[in-house]
Amino acid sequence: MTALDQLRAELVTPQGRKPLRALAASGQLGYGVPDAAFQAGLAQQPHFIGCDMGSVDPGPFYLGSGELATSIEVTRSDLRKVLCGARAIGVPLIIGTAGTAGAAPHLAQTLAMVRDIAQSENLHFRLASISADMPRDTLKAAVTAGRTRALGAIAPLTTTDIDEASHIVGQMGIEAFQRALEAGADVVIAGRACDTAVFAAIPAALGYPIGPAMHMAKIIECCSICTIPGGRDALLGTLDDEGFTIDSMNPIRQATPMSVAAHSLYEQGDPYRVYEPEGTLHTDGAQYTAIDDHRCRISGARWEPATQFTVKIEGATQVGERAVLLAGCGDPRAIAAMPEILTAVEAIVRELVAGSVSAPFQIYPKVYGIDGVINWPTPAPQQSREAFVMVEVIAATRADAKSVATVFKQYLLHHGFPGRISTGGNLAFPFTPPEVMAGTAYRFSAYHVVEVDALAPLFPIHIEDL
Amino acid sequence: MTTALIDIARVIRSKNAGPTTLTLDLLFNDAAGFDLARQSPALSAANIASLYRLAPSQVEIISYPPAQAIKIVLDRAIVAGTPGDRDVYGAQQHGPLLNLSL
Repeated sequence: MTALDQLRAELVTPQGRKPLRALAASGQLGYGVPDAAFQAGLAQQPHFIGCDMGSVDPGPFYLGSGELATSIEVTRSDLRKVLCGARAIGVPLIIGTAGTAGAAPHLAQTLAMVRDIAQSENLHFRLASISADMPRDTLKAAVTAGRTRALGAIAPLTTTDIDEASHIVGQMGIEAFQRALEAGADVVIAGRACDTAVFAAIPAALGYPIGPAMHMAKIIECCSICTIPGGRDALLGTLDDEGFTIDSMNPIRQATPMSVAAHSLYEQGDPYRVYEPEGTLHTDGAQYTAIDDHRCRISGARWEPATQFTVKIEGATQVGERAVLLAGCGDPRAIAAMPEILTAVEAIVRELVAGSVSAPFQIYPKVYGIDGVINWPTPAPQQSREAFVMVEVIAATRADAKSVATVFKQYLLHHGFPGRISTGGNLAFPFTPPEVMAGTAYRFSAYHVVEVDALAPLFPIHIEDL
Repeated sequence: MTTALIDIARVIRSKNAGPTTLTLDLLFNDAAGFDLARQSPALSAANIASLYRLAPSQVEIISYPPAQAIKIVLDRAIVAGTPGDRDVYGAQQHGPLLNLSL
């Protein structure tokens, strides 16, 4: 009997479905899972445990390079905790967006850790992995057929974008997870996945109404961020045929109707709708009610099945090698003149290195204390007495990037400007060398929606018995 | 008489909603503050666009009564993490709202 069949036998009765308990153990596996709340969650005997392990938030580097944003040691420790916890109580463990970005190298590194842990902890289970790397030919055919659409402020997708990307992943929905569970998986490690699918797949497979199931998934995937005070502690969602209850496993964190409703705003462009491959979640009819000081009950979300399957894709492309110049400034006249100084120095540097550095290269100076963080609409009313200068250089090779940064450093240090009194140098270096090689730089080249005829061929499953 | 946004909002935050979109959430202390803000021209798409150096068509304002909140959705000028970006997570873009009078 599969783990899913066991849950079906336990929860689905001729009189209806019993309450299903879903434990969200981590909103970002690899940064440490708070132990007390996780153990309290296990004591609630959840029917499955879910973890999100990635996001598009940390930027294009991880998707592009195949590296994890989290430390290997902490990631391994978190994986050991949730694997041992799930196997100790004999329930499925579902992990979405393996290894930060969920492409093949992230999935492979995560699976290697899972296999090591299973061996060292003497755990035996059926492991399903689901890859999320999009077939390039399928994507190019979609571009040609006009079946792709930009998500927000990004250029339309081209076949060149698809060819040049280091990795392109698609966000899988509940369909892929359900296929893995039907194949008898006890543990599912997925590549790039919708956060919601991790938590909605089992409820939907057991026949719970998808609207509340998907709404619960959307809220619990970030763990206790939806509580006051917000935190990273494990969160229990208890679902029935009418709605669900949210209960933080840390007693100091209160899930109030206001705090849970406000969570619908977080990182969402539209607080009333969540778009999934198989349909759209509408939360405009949702009601949030306090059960007590600590728990909140939610009902009324509606699910609208899609007439056309869609997959959200993410692609990252290499743009060059990055060098960064880091320096401070404490001279009020230099700070006041810094925007003009930087423009002048950039022109000098471009001329000086023209013979030795292969073009094109990019220079992005920023002055912290003026507008390093925000592109302000108006100048500051008062100048700060110190500023920090950071110059980002992107060039074709590491050597080229270093050349540009070092020449920029020297000419910025000694640039003469009208009214200069501090002729010893314009910059304070906290250390040398002040130019730091920051590795390969990437950009997101795809953040689009693709119409597809079938989801299953895009997200193949691999089963292994450990 | 004008009211400072900072005096009636308990949360003024920014964050990406995906790498191409920035969202600013204003959570108010009470229904009175929420209603005042909803009707204020200071929180019109045109005014927010000028604060963020965008065209009004790149700005969307959404009221969210369940949380007594207003969401502002902006096109990012640079896709998150592309060289030249200032704020990969978009978590520090709320500054222009802090001196807003309603």
